[in-house]
Amino acid sequence: MKKKNLPVDWGLRLAVLIVAVGLWELFLRSSQNFLLPRFSDMASGLFHLLFAEARFWQALYISNQALILGFAISVAVGIPLGLLAGRFRWMDRILNPYVGVLLTMPVAPLIPIVIIALGLGIAARVFIVVLFAFVFITVNTRAGVRSVEASLIEMAKSFGASEGQIWRRIVIPGAMPAIFAGMRIGLGRAITGMVMVELLLVASGLGRLLLEFSGRMQSDLVFATVLAVIIEALALLAAMQALEKRITRWAPDASIG
Amino acid sequence: MIRVRALSKEFSVRDNGGGVLALSDIDFEVHDNEFVTIIGPSGCGKTTLLRIIAGLIPYDQGEVAIDGRVITGPGPERAVVFQNFALMPWADVLANITFGLEVRGTPLDECRDKAKELVKLVGLEGFEKRFPKELSGGMQQRVGLARALAVNPEILLMDEPFGALDEQTRRLLQEQLLRLWEGQRKTVVFVTHSMDEAVMLGDRVMLMTPRPGRVKEMIDVPLQRPRSPQVEKSGAFVEIKEYLWENLRAMQVGES
Repeated sequence: MKKKNLPVDWGLRLAVLIVAVGLWELFLRSSQNFLLPRFSDMASGLFHLLFAEARFWQALYISNQALILGFAISVAVGIPLGLLAGRFRWMDRILNPYVGVLLTMPVAPLIPIVIIALGLGIAARVFIVVLFAFVFITVNTRAGVRSVEASLIEMAKSFGASEGQIWRRIVIPGAMPAIFAGMRIGLGRAITGMVMVELLLVASGLGRLLLEFSGRMQSDLVFATVLAVIIEALALLAAMQALEKRITRWAPDASIG
Repeated sequence: MIRVRALSKEFSVRDNGGGVLALSDIDFEVHDNEFVTIIGPSGCGKTTLLRIIAGLIPYDQGEVAIDGRVITGPGPERAVVFQNFALMPWADVLANITFGLEVRGTPLDECRDKAKELVKLVGLEGFEKRFPKELSGGMQQRVGLARALAVNPEILLMDEPFGALDEQTRRLLQEQLLRLWEGQRKTVVFVTHSMDEAVMLGDRVMLMTPRPGRVKEMIDVPLQRPRSPQVEKSGAFVEIKEYLWENLRAMQVGES
């Protein structure tokens, strides 16, 4: 077990933040840029959003509906597809080209089409979030299943394990670290998708708030909103990592979040 | 009793549609409670043969029967010990040992009791809650052995079980296996590439030739049981080992 020195870690992290904020202030002083807010402006903007702006919480709620629903669907679709592609060669052969398309396809240009097809409601937003997120969960899950040692599956068979038992006892536990890695990447992508669809066409939720703030040149509030999204994302990732630690204590630390 | 008759196995090679004959016309028997070791140069198909007996891969011709019944897959009377241990990294020692029992539907508390008994038998007390990565290779294979013994098989199939271990660990485990087996005799088929190991452990040594794999000879090992490490100095031991080496050497000259 390797030891972690938490106070030192947090001290260094704080030092990075201080340097970054210092550079930020220095840049603003020398460039005479009136649109960019100072760090302190952003911080007070965040304070304003959280405690004085009722619409922020409403917008956060609306945006999170699409995020949570979309991410849940991504997990529910992405993991089974990845499991099947990982375990069965024929399934992999069928899915492979589509996975390639989904991985490389720029999703943003599709947003108008999706909205024309599904309307301006939550369905379109959820669909975009799914398009952003699920294929990354699928790809990681597939890789995780592939990484399960063939000798373990053989061992299970030698004791007479059924296909179902092999799945439950060997394939899924073995793929779990990679599945979590996929969910972390997927969550990041889902948040990107959530904000992007709201910004591009569907004026609702946090995207609407962002458009309003930038329309009124309230750059401190724009930055503060982005910061709020980042804070939420980090909180969700931390929660997921805590869950992962509990479930996959055995695995080498492969966290990227 | 394991009876192998006129067994052949061909592996298909993708490119030309042809095949490589891995095993050809294998004939032998292993009697109940007998310890047979299989030795041969690499490429003689000894591991393939063991995997066929385990029911893990199909064969093309001939038949493999256990107590008169032709096998069609793995069965509850057999258990395998693997060269690379094949332990689940996410499960602790106890959970790894109970794997076979649980798969076969044994009630959980019964699994626990049996596992504790086996932990003691293979000398892993105090390590029940450890994960495989926290154990040495020798301890990992003792878990593999305990897992196989837990299902109380009539036949133990061991595929170079000590091949991945350093020599000192290997010798300790050989001695432990000897004591275990002499205390509770099972039918054992033990694949190895070590001549010392083959003679030390076996009642009979099956010598195989490569390309295609065939049985060259079945050699009796007339050493007394229980065997102690001193047996290695005996004339019979040295003689059989030298005989094996002459043969193995002749097979490999011109190939390497």
